[in-house]
Amino acid sequence: MFSFALTILLDGLSYGMVLFLISVGLTITMGLMRVVNLAHGSFAMIGGYVAGYLTQHGMNFFLAVGAAVIVSGLLGAVVETTVYRPLYRKGELAQVLLTIGLVFVATAGVTEVFGAFPYNVKMPEYLTQPVDIGFRTYPAYRLFLIAVGAVVAAVLWYVIDGSILGARLRAAVDNARMARAVGMNVNVLFTGTFVVGCGLAGLGGAIGAGVMAMEPSYALKYLRLFLIVVIVGGEGSFKGSLVAALALGVIDTLGKYFFSQAASYLLYAAVFALLLWRPQGLLPAKSAA
Amino acid sequence: MKRFIRAAGVVAALALPMASASADVVKVGLLADFTGAFAVWGSQFQQAIKAYQEVHGTKIKGPDGKENEIQFVYRDLTSAGPEKAKQLAEELVLREKVKFLAGFDLSPQAMSVADIATQAKIPTIIMNAATASITRGSPYFVRVSMTIPQHGAAAGRWAAKNGVKTAYTIVSDYAPGYDAENFFTKEFEKGGGKVIGSERSPQQETNYAAYMEKVLRAKPDALFMFQPAGSPSLAFVKAYIERGLKAAGIKLIGTGEMQQIFLPQFNDDAIGVVTSFHYTETNKNPENIALRAQLKKMFGQDADADIASVAAWDGTDLIYQAVAALGPSADGLKYVDFFKGKKLNSPRGPIMIDPDERDVIQNIYIRQVEKRDGKLVNIDIGQEDMVKDPWKLENPAKK
Repeated sequence: MFSFALTILLDGLSYGMVLFLISVGLTITMGLMRVVNLAHGSFAMIGGYVAGYLTQHGMNFFLAVGAAVIVSGLLGAVVETTVYRPLYRKGELAQVLLTIGLVFVATAGVTEVFGAFPYNVKMPEYLTQPVDIGFRTYPAYRLFLIAVGAVVAAVLWYVIDGSILGARLRAAVDNARMARAVGMNVNVLFTGTFVVGCGLAGLGGAIGAGVMAMEPSYALKYLRLFLIVVIVGGEGSFKGSLVAALALGVIDTLGKYFFSQAASYLLYAAVFALLLWRPQGLLPAKSAA
Repeated sequence: MKRFIRAAGVVAALALPMASASADVVKVGLLADFTGAFAVWGSQFQQAIKAYQEVHGTKIKGPDGKENEIQFVYRDLTSAGPEKAKQLAEELVLREKVKFLAGFDLSPQAMSVADIATQAKIPTIIMNAATASITRGSPYFVRVSMTIPQHGAAAGRWAAKNGVKTAYTIVSDYAPGYDAENFFTKEFEKGGGKVIGSERSPQQETNYAAYMEKVLRAKPDALFMFQPAGSPSLAFVKAYIERGLKAAGIKLIGTGEMQQIFLPQFNDDAIGVVTSFHYTETNKNPENIALRAQLKKMFGQDADADIASVAAWDGTDLIYQAVAALGPSADGLKYVDFFKGKKLNSPRGPIMIDPDERDVIQNIYIRQVEKRDGKLVNIDIGQEDMVKDPWKLENPAKK
């Protein structure tokens, strides 16, 4: 019984970690910049395709993932300064229209370059095998996902809660106008956060390709999951997105295991219940609305 | 005057090719997805048709000795719904005056043109759509591809005969998945096996951890899958290996998941997966070797034949034979009668059009993934001769 519970927990956590890596950037940019960025999944997709292309052409998996993070981040920097910046002062409708347009552009671009087939990120041999973890054998790949997610979460936690940069970030999320008034360069903070968020999405896309497979429709197909993480976690809340992503991963796995007939609805029912309970999300970032 | 002469010259020059094209043109309207999520089907159909026309020419002599030109008119369904297929089929029939319709990668597309085919008396060659009941939709429908129950039933019989005592099934949660589950289970249990658990996974699923865990705990001899070819099928096989089901000795049995086009995405762990299918790329039929060579010659080394190519090749062959036998302007039902009971040497092996149901009767091959010359390929390890669609045997047509 214990081993069974632990297995479900591991399955749920590994899936949740992928959701977390991809969504954490989105939650902070939505909280910080108030931009409804529906194109966020495109950065994860591009990261995944870059890693796929490089590993299929013989590059070491970890180097390829590094390259994926850098490409997604750089692309984020370019897009933020050229496309997103004029958007900050526009209304939400304009943001939704433009960013969903970017999703279509990314989808068409990926189809053109890599074709309509699903695209494989080649993992090293030892990650595709089960390993012995004492009480059973378990997929090495999923342990790897949990480890990477945990390290990233710890680093972010330290930066956001323990560093001066994090203090500024939290201040800007709480009240951007006041932050500007006391002399902080909120624009640079925006760009920096956006780039890091895109880079993390690229990381999640690349290493998570074994759970959420790369295909041209990726950015649209998983968009609702990323948005759910943001909304359930609470906009702008890093800790919230971690808790929400892990909880959704575990709920999804439990649902598939025990109520597989209803698994596709169960997740949404859970989200519905959570939001009725806490409309602002689990751990909202803002002290005052 | 000068002007007139020049004008006359232009007119003559324009008229010339028309005059020389004395051959009757037989138009075939081909409806398939050339863009969007299912774009790969349209291009595979088109390449095979072009290859056929390259080998056999575009002109064919009718029974009266006059030449007829076979011309394909392509329309893109853009991976949109069946409404689009209906609308474009109408356009092809009314404006282009096509004599035949062909193509249809997805079942709803084929079903949506049933009324048009019947009313306009247009013989319609279905080159993929695999829902069993489709050919009952119109007396003008003829299918050259496959039905899902053909694969599922043969897989069940093979498993029962080859030492599999217990099986678990996981199929995708849509109609073809239920067909596969139903016919696998029926034939497997008829042969003495027992299905000890079954699951239906969402159509777009790529996270199979919980499903695999359940199977691992149930410890069956084999796991039968039916997953849409693409990211779900790839993720499924990977999860099977990753979670140690292979290591635990649970055999994986499927249908279309291990088609050659997907094999490069797997590593050597996929060796040993058994599938039940109607076309094996490594078969030694001369027609298969010729088709593959022709595709590579025309479209480059990456061009490969798959079930779409084979069905389009055979469908084109049927149309050529019909025009040769009946000429360019026979009645629609005459063409259909000609197709009934027709036997072809397809690249997949021998096939026949069922005289009663106008559906394909063909060998089902049991294949296993193996490694040859450093590449993963499917190798035939068994076959069932001339399998009729089991769904139709169970659901006889109402007279």
